[in-house]
Amino acid sequence: MNETSPYIGFEEYSEHVPTSIPLAVQQATGRFVSGRAARVAELPQWEELRQIGSDIRQHTIENMDGYLTHLEAAVLSAGGHVHWAESGEDARQIVLQIAKENKVKSVVKSKSMATEEIHLNRALEAAGIESLETDLGEYIIQLAGTGPSHIIVPAVHLTKEEIAVLFSKHLGIDAPNDPIELARIARETLREKFLSAEMGISGGNFLIAETGTLVMVTNEGNGRMCTTMPDIHVAVVGIDKVIPDWDSLTVFLKLLARSATGQKLSTYTQFITGPRHAEGEGGPKEFHLVLLDNGRSKILKDPVGRDVLKCIRCGACANVCPVYKNVGGFAYGSFISGPIGAILSPQMLGTQAARELPFASTLCGACADVCPVKIPIPTILRHLRRRVSQGDEFSKPTLSTSIRVTASLASFALAQNWLYRFGTRVLPTFMSIFKRGNWISNAPYPLSRWTKARPLPSFTASFRNWWKKEKDSTK
Amino acid sequence: MTNPILENIRKSLGRTDQISSPQGAPLSLRPAIYQPRQPESVESEIETFLNEIKKLSGIGQKLSPDGIDFALETLITDQNIRTATVWQTPHLRQLGVTEILNSFNIKLISPNADKHEMAQCDLGITEADFLLPETGTLALYSSTEKPRAVSLLPRIHLAIVRPEILRADMHQVFAEAKNSNYLVFITGPSRTADIELTVTLGVHGPKNLYVWVII
Ligand code: SF4
Repeated sequence: MNETSPYIGFEEYSEHVPTSIPLAVQQATGRFVSGRAARVAELPQWEELRQIGSDIRQHTIENMDGYLTHLEAAVLSAGGHVHWAESGEDARQIVLQIAKENKVKSVVKSKSMATEEIHLNRALEAAGIESLETDLGEYIIQLAGTGPSHIIVPAVHLTKEEIAVLFSKHLGIDAPNDPIELARIARETLREKFLSAEMGISGGNFLIAETGTLVMVTNEGNGRMCTTMPDIHVAVVGIDKVIPDWDSLTVFLKLLARSATGQKLSTYTQFITGPRHAEGEGGPKEFHLVLLDNGRSKILKDPVGRDVLKCIRCGACANVCPVYKNVGGFAYGSFISGPIGAILSPQMLGTQAARELPFASTLCGACADVCPVKIPIPTILRHLRRRVSQGDEFSKPTLSTSIRVTASLASFALAQNWLYRFGTRVLPTFMSIFKRGNWISNAPYPLSRWTKARPLPSFTASFRNWWKKEKDSTK
Repeated sequence: MTNPILENIRKSLGRTDQISSPQGAPLSLRPAIYQPRQPESVESEIETFLNEIKKLSGIGQKLSPDGIDFALETLITDQNIRTATVWQTPHLRQLGVTEILNSFNIKLISPNADKHEMAQCDLGITEADFLLPETGTLALYSSTEKPRAVSLLPRIHLAIVRPEILRADMHQVFAEAKNSNYLVFITGPSRTADIELTVTLGVHGPKNLYVWVII
């Protein structure tokens, strides 16, 4: 995907976040966080489950070659087709080819990060094929022409009034400002599409190597529609989604919905192994699985960074992240946001395009506490910060030279006792130029980045002096 | 036949051994799984199940076989049902579901009907193959007698189920179901909170879910 990775300006974006975004995002995350907490409290073995979940994911990525081989054989013997896509471009071509062979004119899609990752809609539309998102939130943002602001509720930043305007404009109707009515309108509009589309495209939450089964978890029922109504079902799934067997699946199904939305299970969980057996049962006559690499096998090489591939995309880390809650999903400039985005995008898109993201964190560790598969997100963030600033065996440093020089000067100065003491003497005098009362509200660069948002207390005493005084007075 | 993706994975993982069998390297044992949930008495499992259905905004009840007549009549009036489609299974046949619907002048559509026709249906009646009490979940297979669309396209889904299909934990369900080509877990009616986080039932799937446990 390095081919098409534009620079992600997290800092610049986050300086101009419209206030409606943190408000809406915090309403959603607040609800998910309390829902999750309630579900977790019901399950005494929660921590044990997390540990097992983590162990199984670790084991699976360390044996990914074996499990993928098993998976492929099982899908083939169930009568499905397997396609391997090294890059996003490969995956797009594979899907287009299947569509062409079957004279597909319209496609219904259920929510999938893998297809967003490879910008599949754009490619289909460029080929003259209508491609419609059918998850209500995804449908809305497709009409709006924006990206998702949250993993689970992608259109949470839009008000019902804004959505009504969108519906009125695109559907040529007079849509009311009522969420229930709007959902009904979407239901009717999309129903037509489900029944007429020749091809359904989905992602997948898990791939069971044991039997070649695709597991899909959804709430609205659009996922079932996309994989039941059209004659052809194409699932585009990252190779990291493979799990060993059905017994391991029980662990992840127990972890996933509880962590994501605070449900015990999502409304619909489908277990699809190959195409339909008889026409009468319904469902597609052809089943295609596109296994997407797109940089994942390279991430696997880094023993620290590879833990990102354990992710089951629940979004819990974003829901608790103080940075994400204040900037929302757009700031992360990619299909995936929040702490998981901050550790995935730099590895997938490279630390050139996404070099700001590892720094978009306070390292408070809340994400690691809730992650159902125990990904050590702060450790990976620090690991990637080092990659950005100093470079490592996987990438050259990508931080600008001026910052690198400043940083190495600072680290030199802080390491020299006399220089450090000298600094603490002159700094208060120097800063007093900028002091207004007891506060500094207009510091020079680079401190201005802080004072733009809030004033800095003025330096009053050096800690060393204070400590000496305290020690003397308690003697 | 070499597969570049598998090659890359093997390189990244530092594999040096040759792939000896078409199945790839033999798999090491995956970590052990926790203890599955243990069943309670049938009565209390049914209670737990119905309780969960209620929490999910579904409508569940216990019913004796003689009660089906009246319950269907009530459902037909409450939900203004005109057309229905029914799974062709021995259990539903034995309960006389289609006869009862006929007696109320409900238009019956074949469960194998064309999808456009099926989409016009008010009521879809199925049974289930497994029930999970802890989560209020119905698990359904599919076959020519049990088409997938019956629990999906009509605006109301009614599942008439037997207590024998209760399973304490997903483990048992999966042990029995893993070799089937299709299985779906249904946990409550279709829902979304995508517009201003307002919970709306019946987005794409059925708006109402009725579950009758026949005892
Ligand atoms: S990193 Fe963990 S918490 Fe975040 S989305 Fe992935 S699995 Fe969920």
